Amino acid sequence: MAGGASITIDRASKRFALAGSSEGVLALTDLSLEIAPGEFVAVLGPSGCGKSTLLRLVASLEQPSGGSVSIGGAAPGLVSARHALGVAFQDHALLPWLSIHDNIALPFRIAGRRVDEAAIARLIELVGLGRFETARPRQLSGGMRQRASIARALVLEPEVLLLDEPFGALDAVTRRQMNVELQRIWSARQITTMLITHSVDEALFLADRVVVMSGRPGRIVREVVVPFARPRAPAVMRSEDFHRLVDDLTAALEVPEPESSPPTGGEAIGSVTA
Amino acid sequence: MEAAASKRPLLLRLVEDYWGILLLLLAWQLWVVLNRFNPIVMPTPVAVLGDLVDHPMVYVRNVGITLAVAAFGLIAGMAVGTGLAVAAWFSPVASGLLNPLTVLFSSVPVVALIPVIARLLGYDTSTVLAIVVIITFFPSFVFASSGLRSPPPGSEDLFRVLGASRLSVLWRLALPAAMPNLAIAFKLAAAHAILAAMVAEFLMGTSGLGYLFAKTKSDFQTEQAFGASVVATVISATAFLLAGLVEKRVRARYA
Amino acid sequence: MTAGARNALLGAMGIALFLALWETIGQLKLAGISWPPLSAVLEMLTDEGRRPLFQRALVATLQETAQGYLWGTTAGLALAALAHLVPPLRRGSDRLAAVLNSVPSIALGPIFLVLLSRDSTPAAVSSIHVFFIVFVSMGSGLQRATPAHRDLFAVLGADRLKRFWRLELPAALPALASGLRLAWPAALIGAIIGEWFGASRGIGILIINAMQNFQIVLLWCAVLLAVGASLVFYGLLTLLERAAYARFG
Ligand SMILES: Nc1ncnc2c1ncn2[C@@H]1O[C@H](COP(=O)(O)OP(=O)(O)OP(=O)(O)O)[C@@H](O)[C@H]1O
Ligand SMILES: [Mg+2]
Repeated sequence: MAGGASITIDRASKRFALAGSSEGVLALTDLSLEIAPGEFVAVLGPSGCGKSTLLRLVASLEQPSGGSVSIGGAAPGLVSARHALGVAFQDHALLPWLSIHDNIALPFRIAGRRVDEAAIARLIELVGLGRFETARPRQLSGGMRQRASIARALVLEPEVLLLDEPFGALDAVTRRQMNVELQRIWSARQITTMLITHSVDEALFLADRVVVMSGRPGRIVREVVVPFARPRAPAVMRSEDFHRLVDDLTAALEVPEPESSPPTGGEAIGSVTA
Repeated sequence: MEAAASKRPLLLRLVEDYWGILLLLLAWQLWVVLNRFNPIVMPTPVAVLGDLVDHPMVYVRNVGITLAVAAFGLIAGMAVGTGLAVAAWFSPVASGLLNPLTVLFSSVPVVALIPVIARLLGYDTSTVLAIVVIITFFPSFVFASSGLRSPPPGSEDLFRVLGASRLSVLWRLALPAAMPNLAIAFKLAAAHAILAAMVAEFLMGTSGLGYLFAKTKSDFQTEQAFGASVVATVISATAFLLAGLVEKRVRARYA
Repeated sequence: MTAGARNALLGAMGIALFLALWETIGQLKLAGISWPPLSAVLEMLTDEGRRPLFQRALVATLQETAQGYLWGTTAGLALAALAHLVPPLRRGSDRLAAVLNSVPSIALGPIFLVLLSRDSTPAAVSSIHVFFIVFVSMGSGLQRATPAHRDLFAVLGADRLKRFWRLELPAALPALASGLRLAWPAALIGAIIGEWFGASRGIGILIINAMQNFQIVLLWCAVLLAVGASLVFYGLLTLLERAAYARFG
């Protein structure tokens, strides 16, 4: 029962203007990636390699400088205009003046749809915030806020779910719990999902396929299909196969260019100050 | 904090909270008594208080007028300021045109404009009202503009991904985000509104506390002139205090 | 074109539009005779014959304002530092400052007239305005040092005064600079109102006289002088504020 739409990224590149440099920053180059309907893909890569940029292209928060990005054959902008994207960022981006319930109801109100109280109640239950519906974001812990923002991302039953390091700010234990919960939530719907993360464990535990990007300019240097059957118990992380894959991916992350380097020549900029 | 405050003995609390004001009043009383000033030149605070008790109706009537003008002017000024800020938020061209102009105007000594406005609009209460509107307009516009443009981090991206219309972004994001700033503008403008109304009434009014001050002063009823000032001080200090409480609540709700 | 350049252009256009509107309304007498065209005002303002009049008024008002600014800043800083270093005095000084700020300026005039002299009254009224703004901005600035920094100083064994000089005061400078910028127009307003109580010269006197004698163009000239005096120093203080934020912000 795979839900959602496919994502097609076809030879996309992205160049940012940068003050004091005529060429700007080439964040992505010639990147192609196909995500099937209902597939869960995790993207790994060193800091600054363009993972967020990739996600922002799919969310139509940025336009590609070259190539194309489409969701179910349509331009991402059209998909977001019909309120069919769900998103959660590293920073929860909950509105401080709304209660948890109202924050999760926000996508309905923005879409101009009737607020589906039953769906909200189910999601709040699912992310374990049952007693905190009326609380304000600032009264919640970091992990609880992240769960609320994931509930918000799911509430419209989106065609595509985009997660940019949603657990990046959490401690290791909470993070693992959140991973288990996210898997449970996702299994119930199987929405096409793109998860950006720094954690190899997290990627392998959650995804159907893991993609590793190289340092700037970003492109894909490695792809791994995750063999573990679903539903996955946390015990899978202690298995032999899991460790082998972790080592494999970690090695791919550490060596920026394990394969022959593509012809990007002098395009990369030596030093970029943030 | 509150609980701790109420545990202190009353006298200590009074001294701690009001030592400055008490000292000021005491110095005033001593200064007048020791210099043997004629009450026409400088009355004692005790004498001013006496006049307040003796002629309450004069004060009540004029306080009512000044308060009404200040309140209406404050509301209108904030409405116009916020409305224009919203218009500028919708249109980058409008905001580009307006921004330096308002920065320019908010650094202008507005009191200097009062005579000009009076010449233009005539010498009556509606002019006093117009002046209060103009004086409260600038802080509202400046603060509302910057508030509308500072939503919580990440929220703008979120609204875009969710496919929010411009109107929905205004209503659900920009306006709530601007509330704390609007509350600051309200606090600044509330105390200002009463004082501005008084200066305007003083210069060209036909009624109100400022007029009472001007008239009684030129009639050498100095005690009543000071009575008017004391009343105005109490009112605008109270307005400042209340507006401060409003600001605190808004901050707790929206930030 | 960059966003900055476009905004600068738009801003300049906004100001030009405003000036053109002013001129047109004046030329066509849309607002009656009380609204002279900008050109008439500028003409009078640059008239050789009136130069001494304007110059005297401007110099007098600027002197009073500067004096009031200095007194007010000193008093505001002193009370803020006192309230900060001696916490029991804190609540009382907050209230004193709020009440002083709430005294109508027109009531301050007569008091200072008796307390000081005719010619010191404008500076005194002006200093009360400045005092409040500096007190408030310095007070909130002194709270800006972070708990982590305070802890650091505590661990290093710094006493109250060392912490004040080396941590809290530098951390307060940006907020203070903002206060100093906002205080200038307020100081100018104070000086102008103070002049109404019998000063011998100044922009406030010019304004009142022109208003009472129906010298419309002269009135607008005086107002423009006040605006200019405000803007020039406001601009300079904005630069100071930027520097403070760059260095200590
Ligand atoms: N708006 C922008 N303007 C200019 N350069 C940008 C912009 N956004 C990203 N970049 C540049 O693009 C490159 C990739 O950035 P991106 O945020 O996609 O990295 P990332 O892989 O998400 O890193 P991290 O793991 O640290 O979040 C960086 O070099 C960054 O400096
Ligand atoms: Mg990123």
